[in-house]
Amino acid sequence: MSDSGWSIGIVICVLVSFILVGLKQKSRDSFEYGFGGRYTGRIGGGAAIASNWMSAASLMGLAGIIYLNGYLALAYVIGWTGGYVLLLVLLASQIRRFGKFTAPDFVGERYGSPAARFLTAVISIGISVIYCVAQFKGIGMIFSFLLGVDYRHGVLYGGLAVVSYLVLSGILGVPRNQQMLYFVISVSFIVPLMWLAHRLGYFWLLPQFGYGAAMGDLSRQFGIDLAAPFAHGTLFQWCALCFTLMVGTAGLPHVLSRFYTVPNLRDARWSVVWGLFFIAIIYWSAPAYAVFGKLMEARMGQFLEPSAARSMADIIVLKTAVLAGLPGWLVGVLAAGALSAAFFTVAGLLMTGAASISFDIYYRIFHPMASESSRMKVAKAGTLVLAGIVLLIALNPPGLIAEITAVAFALAGNTIFPLFVLGIWWDRANDDGAVAGMLVGIVCTFAQPLFGGIVPQVAVLFPLTSSALCGAPLVILVMIVVSLLSPAPPEEMRRFLHDEVHGHLD
Amino acid sequence: MTSQEKRYRINLFRPKKGHMRDEVLIIFIILFGWALVTFGFQILLAACQGTGAGSLLAGLTLFNLPLHFWFTGQFLPLWFIILCIAFNLYIDRITAYHSRKRDRSYE
Repeated sequence: MSDSGWSIGIVICVLVSFILVGLKQKSRDSFEYGFGGRYTGRIGGGAAIASNWMSAASLMGLAGIIYLNGYLALAYVIGWTGGYVLLLVLLASQIRRFGKFTAPDFVGERYGSPAARFLTAVISIGISVIYCVAQFKGIGMIFSFLLGVDYRHGVLYGGLAVVSYLVLSGILGVPRNQQMLYFVISVSFIVPLMWLAHRLGYFWLLPQFGYGAAMGDLSRQFGIDLAAPFAHGTLFQWCALCFTLMVGTAGLPHVLSRFYTVPNLRDARWSVVWGLFFIAIIYWSAPAYAVFGKLMEARMGQFLEPSAARSMADIIVLKTAVLAGLPGWLVGVLAAGALSAAFFTVAGLLMTGAASISFDIYYRIFHPMASESSRMKVAKAGTLVLAGIVLLIALNPPGLIAEITAVAFALAGNTIFPLFVLGIWWDRANDDGAVAGMLVGIVCTFAQPLFGGIVPQVAVLFPLTSSALCGAPLVILVMIVVSLLSPAPPEEMRRFLHDEVHGHLD
Repeated sequence: MTSQEKRYRINLFRPKKGHMRDEVLIIFIILFGWALVTFGFQILLAACQGTGAGSLLAGLTLFNLPLHFWFTGQFLPLWFIILCIAFNLYIDRITAYHSRKRDRSYE
């Protein structure tokens, strides 16, 4: 069997094993417990948070962008971990006490406005689609890498594979095993990295520290300094990107709803700590792939043009493994981890998006009398339509995986984050403020492509991937002003906030 | 403004007495630590660039990594975990305190 044959075999084995384990778990659960999904404690809850979070952006995009941009790209590492601090201290407990777990549900209930609910649902769908495009790009690149076809065919095959996988899991009713997913993702990311460090002659037991020496060699022998601060972007660009990803993390709909799988609030809070730790393990490792990749290329005398480097940056993790001569099965393990992360992220996002279509838009706004079965049909059709749209966009991806993902974060940070923060922490915020805030947020997010050509200053202040540093405060200001100029929200809601959300111990 | 309206006021910057006031205090402390260490360090780094302090900083290494790269890439995620642990410990404490206080008031 050839090397790539081994890689493909491993990938298929891993994906099938998720279905088999799920089926086994399902039959045991219904027998022993009578319900799916068991309580697995704080550590298990943390693993669920982490595996829900890991996607092609973490496992492929992060190393790719560090490989290209060096220190500037550390803003991704910091943004995607620091956001959990915001989420934990500002929102987690309060949203749980509020009792509404999806963004449209929360907004619809808190602001009591169908228009706000509709806008939030549309924004959630938009976030899901943008986020999925990045995942599809990752899946497409892995498929084209493994099968040796061009990128567009890779995306087509990958898209077909992910949709069939979704449909198959749906028909079989397989529960997602988040703990197993985290285990597979982390092992498949870190074991090849240790092998790589060993092979290149660096400290391999903890490659997260071992790559420091490789970085030194890279700058001494080849004059490539990945650590030079602000070489690829200014201080403002660094901070804007980092802040955008942080508020986006705290506002991302599929992250917010992760807090409710754990039965009590105290465990939910502590599982965030474990989740953050599990995420950090991957993020401490990702720069190592970028550094080893750069070093391998330099040693082989490959000094790519910027455009060529950009086009292959997202696959640098796998490319490094192949350049270093890792055995085919280990490359397969590496690809399988990234693919499972992307597959399950796509599954989660498409289902979130489809639920918004069928519940928040179709049922709550257009057909309040719709039956359960017709809502299910809309949800299923919605999943396929969304997948089709994503596939079309992914055929000509607009940027790197990390960059596309960052736009989804910017949208979440500019719209959903301010709505949640003011909705929880200020009783006077009302429906007019919410609608105005969301509209301004959408404009801020896409200000660069919309107005950047006309007013150059806009492109500087609201870069597409990092618009929330200026955007989120602006949206909060607009919400406050509009709310104060219009009638106060109903007394009932203010009493609920006062007595239940912030008064549970009074 | 009626007195009724006043009673149900919720404002992050004017927390009501009891649990909420304690909670808001720790929120501000954690957010201060979060912002200062994340963005403060970057501002410091940018300000030092091109000066004597900057070249001194560039020469320092930890685990073979340039110090600023280590600080941002490895210490900051750890710092966030520390912040979350501190927050949770404090919230556990004030929750226990206020629960006890509330239960006693029923006696």
